[in-house]
Amino acid sequence: MSESLLDVRNLQAGYGEMPVLKDVAFHIGEREIVALVGSNAAGKTTLLRALSGVLSHSGSVRYAGEEIANLPSDAIFARGLVQLPEGRQLFGDMSVHDNLLMGAYRRSDRGNLDADLGEVYRIFPVLGQRKRQLAGSMSGGEQQMCAMARALMARPRLLMIDEMSLGLAPAIVDQLLDVLQSIRSRGVTVLLVEQDVYSALRIADRGYVLEHGHIVREGRARELADDPEVKRAYLGV
Amino acid sequence: MNLLWQGIVNGVLLGGLYALMALGLALVWGVLNIVNLAHGALIMLGGYVCYYLFTGAHIDPFVALPITAAVLFVVGYAIQRRLLNLVIRAPMFNTLLITFGLDVVLTYAAQIAFSADFRTVNPSYAGANFSLLGATVPVVRLLAFVIALALTFGLWLFLTRTPLGRAIRATSQNLVAARLYGVEPRRIYALTFGIGAALAGAAGALYGVVSQLNPYIGTSLTAKSFVIAIIGGLSNPLGVIVGGLVLGLVESMTSLYIGATYTNVASFGILVLVLIVRPTGLLGRTA
Ligand SMILES: Nc1ncnc2c1ncn2[C@@H]1O[C@H](COP(=O)(O)OP(=O)(O)O)[C@@H](O)[C@H]1O
Ligand SMILES: [Mg+2]
Repeated sequence: MSESLLDVRNLQAGYGEMPVLKDVAFHIGEREIVALVGSNAAGKTTLLRALSGVLSHSGSVRYAGEEIANLPSDAIFARGLVQLPEGRQLFGDMSVHDNLLMGAYRRSDRGNLDADLGEVYRIFPVLGQRKRQLAGSMSGGEQQMCAMARALMARPRLLMIDEMSLGLAPAIVDQLLDVLQSIRSRGVTVLLVEQDVYSALRIADRGYVLEHGHIVREGRARELADDPEVKRAYLGV
Repeated sequence: MNLLWQGIVNGVLLGGLYALMALGLALVWGVLNIVNLAHGALIMLGGYVCYYLFTGAHIDPFVALPITAAVLFVVGYAIQRRLLNLVIRAPMFNTLLITFGLDVVLTYAAQIAFSADFRTVNPSYAGANFSLLGATVPVVRLLAFVIALALTFGLWLFLTRTPLGRAIRATSQNLVAARLYGVEPRRIYALTFGIGAALAGAAGALYGVVSQLNPYIGTSLTAKSFVIAIIGGLSNPLGVIVGGLVLGLVESMTSLYIGATYTNVASFGILVLVLIVRPTGLLGRTA
């Protein structure tokens, strides 16, 4: 197998004295969509915080052939490892347009911004209609689209999304999943972190199950979705 | 009637300068969540920098103003990097304590360096004035007013129209998201504090032209800036114009109809009133 885009080994992280990630290992190939699922408080968000460099950690994180563990967050971001955080975390008192421009804050190719803005407004027409509206004043679905558009403005190479579908209407989740599939076809790799196992596994190639700070299962997305253990744990049947 | 008109003109001119004085305090408060009790001391320092550029190097005070602002930017940037970064995101009490200490140090250093004598920046045209519908308008006060408004508007443009300005606003609104999108908060904080100090320096330069400097003016200027920031709110820099005009007019009217010694009573009366009517102002951000 060729080298993965992201290769995480023996990752440990926590808050103060409390360990949350005990020994996490997984990998993501270029242009893959990988789902990472796990119940509430399993450590999914903690994992993404560590990968983005906003939470200190130990272990090895190889990204595009380079060790990036504990690099500062802005250096990780500048390498195209972009996170769409849990709860969207928009700049609520800034306009939709300014939020999108913040996605492109570190880009040096300023000449391409207008074209990219046009592109995300084409993908999410509703944002185009609300350019000047404060991001915090929109509905949950529109905010998630805005957060996705902001992330796309960063031109991610690996996009990590935390709880994208939480609290959203199924039609909006479908729309966002379609967007992910289309950006993957343009070369973007996606890590989809979800408590809602089935929306994530629907479009993923492979999946991992995180429990209590360990990866406890991995496999093809279809196999995981059919796994009786996974069914029992997450469908609540 | 003429007296009232003169009072309004005085109050508006004073209000513009007050707005600029408060601008840096409000910016730093909104972005770093630090109420900088040394803000008035930075204004005082700016006044002295301008004073020495004028008396020592014979530079016109309005030309010295950008130099003063640049000097204070460096001072502010260094203070943030070396000192305030230690207390960033610390409880409000710690930041108040440390900036209060800074205020004391700057004030006494100024007393040793510059003596306690009153100083004023007195260019040849200091006495020039003209009449506007019967009210006397001193030229330097009008210039100070125009520059203060231009700088306030300039800051607003910077914050809303430039990538760096957007990053400053983003950092103040959502620190986690700003970090995830490639912003370095330490750099943004130092820059913001530097800009706040530069604005204080500019205000100090203008203050030295229209009033008198001594090492102790800082405390009351901090307090006035605080009142203005609360009236104007922290979310929009243009808010300080409203706050500055309110305070300028109230002080001007008080000195006109009650007596000049009561102006401070009036301005702090407003503070109390605002805190009663809109106590959210104290939380660092308007709801
Ligand atoms: N900022 C924090 N400080 C202390 N503990 C935290 C913090 N964030 C999360 N935790 C704890 O870490 C564990 C994992 O949380 P998290 O990574 O958010 O889980 P998930 O995203 O899978 O729901 C939980 O027990 C949670 O209470
Ligand atoms: Mg989570």
